[in-house]
Order: sequence, then C-alpha cells, then structure tokens
Amino acid sequence: MFRTGIVAATLLLGVGVVAAAEDQVALTQTAMKSNLKNAIVLYDMTKGKTTYDQTAVDAALVGLEDVAKRFPSFFPESIKDKRPKGDYYASTKVWTQRADFEAHAATFAKVVGEAKTKVKDLDSLKTEFTAINDACLGCHETYRVKAH
Amino acid sequence: MLRRILLLAGLAGLIGFGVFWWLTIPATVAASALPAYQPNLANGLTTFNAGGCSSCHAVPKQDDRTRLGGGLAIPSPFGTFYAPNISPDPNDGIGRWSEADFVTAVMKGTSPSGTHYFPAFPYTSYQHARVNDVRDLFAYLKTLPPVAGKVRDHDVPFPFNIRRDVGVWKFLFMDGKPFIADASRSSHWYRGAYLVNSFGHCAECHSPRNFLGGIVSSQRFAGGPNPEGEGWVPNITPRGIADWSAKDIAYFLESGQTPDGDSAGGSMVRVIRNTSQLSPSDRDAIADYIKSLPPVDGPPKPTRKADKTDPS
Repeated sequence: MFRTGIVAATLLLGVGVVAAAEDQVALTQTAMKSNLKNAIVLYDMTKGKTTYDQTAVDAALVGLEDVAKRFPSFFPESIKDKRPKGDYYASTKVWTQRADFEAHAATFAKVVGEAKTKVKDLDSLKTEFTAINDACLGCHETYRVKAH
Repeated sequence: MLRRILLLAGLAGLIGFGVFWWLTIPATVAASALPAYQPNLANGLTTFNAGGCSSCHAVPKQDDRTRLGGGLAIPSPFGTFYAPNISPDPNDGIGRWSEADFVTAVMKGTSPSGTHYFPAFPYTSYQHARVNDVRDLFAYLKTLPPVAGKVRDHDVPFPFNIRRDVGVWKFLFMDGKPFIADASRSSHWYRGAYLVNSFGHCAECHSPRNFLGGIVSSQRFAGGPNPEGEGWVPNITPRGIADWSAKDIAYFLESGQTPDGDSAGGSMVRVIRNTSQLSPSDRDAIADYIKSLPPVDGPPKPTRKADKTDPS
C-alpha cells in the first residue's frame, strides 16, 4: 500500500511537472502575443493608421515594459524543445547561448524604458518605435524560428 | 575475349573521365575581356548593399558591416561552410586579386587558383549581374579596411568536398544565360527584377531545393525548409503574401516591419540590414517585381511537432 502510494505520488508529480511546462509554453506565447499587440498599437500610430494618443501609447509601453523586465523568466529551461501551436517557436539557442539571449532581453527592457520617458508626440514615437523594433529584430534574428 | 572486354571497359572509362574533366573545367573571365573602365564607387556601394555581401562576409558579433574578415558559419545539408575573408587584406583577403579574378569569382564561381567555389556562395544568382556593376563592387571593396586573419576551411565531408564535382552541379543548375528583360515591362520593374534575381539572390533562400541542392525552378520564390537549418522560409509569391501591397513589401525591406505590425526574424533580419541601405526607389522596384511574381504553391509544410507535446 505504502509502495503504491509512493508510485502514485511520483507519477502525479511527473504529470504535474509536464503540465507545468505546458502551462509555461502557453504563458510564454501569451507574453509574446502581448508584445505584438502593444507593438501594433504603436506601429499603427507611426503609420498614420490611427491618430496619436498619449494614453494609448503609455498603456502600450507599460505593457511592453512589464514583459521586457522579466523577459528571460519567460524562457526557463523547462520549456526547451517545447513548441507552442502557432507560426513561431523559440530556437534552442535561447538556452545554449543564454548570455547573449539575456543581453538581447536587457536591450529590449532598456529601449522600452527610454521610450517611456521620451515619447511625447508622433515624431518622438517614430524614433523610439524604431529602436524598439530594432530590439525585436535583433533578438528574432537568432532566437525566433518560423515553424511553417 | 576477356582482354577485349577489359580494353573496351578501360576505353569507356577513359572517355567518361574525359567528358567529366571537360564538363567540369572551371569557367573564367579573361582580363582581356574587360575593357578599360572608370569604376563608380557610389554604384559599388549600392551593389554591395543589394548583394548582401556583409551578411555573410562581415566579421560576426560586431556591428561594422564593412569589416569583411569573414568567419561566419553557414550550415547546410552538405556540411558547414565558413564565409571567407573578402577584405582588401593582401594575405588573408582579396588584396592581391586582379579585377578579372574578382569578376570570375562572382560571376563564374571560380577561384583565382582555378577551382570551383561551393554554391553556398550564390554565384548562380550573381552570374546575372552586369559586369560593370561587379567592377564597381570590386572598386568599392578595395576602399574598405583590410582585416587580417585567414578563415578556417569548410567542414564539408566526402563526397561533397570534391571541388571538381561542383562543375557537374554547375552544369545542372547554373544556366549561364544572361538575365533577359521583359520588354513589355517598365524600366522600374526591370530594375526590381534585376536586383532580385542577380545581387539580391532572394531565390537562394526563398525556393525549395532538390536532393542535390539545386533550386527547384518550378517553385522559385515559393519558400520551403530553411536551407540553413531549422524552420521554414516563407513563400513570397502571391500564394504566400497576397495580402501585402507593394508599399508593404517596400516598407518591410526598409524597416523589417510586416504589414500586421510583426517583425522579421531569422536570416531576413540580416537581409533587411542591407535593403534598409538601398534607395527608396530601388526598394520600390523590388516590391513591384515581387508583386508581379506568378502565384506558385511551395512544398508541403511540415505537420506541427507541437501537437505531440500539446496537452489538449
């Protein structure tokens, strides 16, 4: 009986670990999608699709900063080789070139932080959004893989 | 009888080898074929950016696109190639090359010592370049800083390491035909077609390849598995990006931003570092040409491996 209990507990623990990893994959994808959603708010303004709105800019930047500040924590070792549904997945280089990856994450946090203090109008948004976009590009170059 | 068979077999082998040898003679451009010319450095810079030279030849992990010391690893199904030093360094780069050496390398894929380059160097596209553009590029490269340091040898296993065999590959996949203008199109469109198919070498990644590494010409620009490793390269015919306008494409080449606000990824980021340096008119021309491509379906996409780990 005792032994069965141990085995059952071990199995449950295993299931729990796997489930946690799946949850983390979904959470990470949600974080990246939140970045995209916030980036689109800024992008649409720079492209004149929407009119400049300081409140919306601030909200988007706060959203970006929230993810940027804890960016490496969205990519724990437990989700290495786990791929979400969707167009993209994280390259294993996220984990094999960790220092470089975290340097990119730090750049992302830095440019978003600067944008928060500098964006006052459409012109400054255009400048700062270019910097944010360059951070996206710089990291996606190595660490994002197009699945299909 | 046996002697006769052996003799015939030997003769056939000799003829076969002769044909192979003749077929695989590396092509060159003679210095005498290049008339006197005053190179245009500004056009050399345009050519440098259109050709994406620094994407592979710039020293990795530093930001100066003009330090062409090479060393980038380029993985492929046939082994790993290491981009050579093409800085003007006399010992490790191309400082001692003649102009004819350079034209031969870029347009024929043949080294100054008369051996075939591996087609990781996209001469199948560069062959369509205008000779004067290549001469301008050579003059421009000469103005860049020399970078010392020889790059390591390619890591390509047998049998792909037999350079002479690349001659057969060229016979199969390098048509040697000059790029032909479609007379019914505008000069703007022609400029785009020229940039895309020669220096831009877009088809080299945006097309599927057969088992020998040749582009499947019926599926040119239709995307496929990433030749450099993991992931997928998008279809850039209307089957893939029908909802992108020419303006969207031009803006993407300038900024790396897709029409839905997303960003470029993978090797395309390096491409955008080049195309962002082109003139707006050249980017528009590329976009016009891309928009005019016939719709072609690419190879079937892989089934998602994620489904395996998906809890639902």
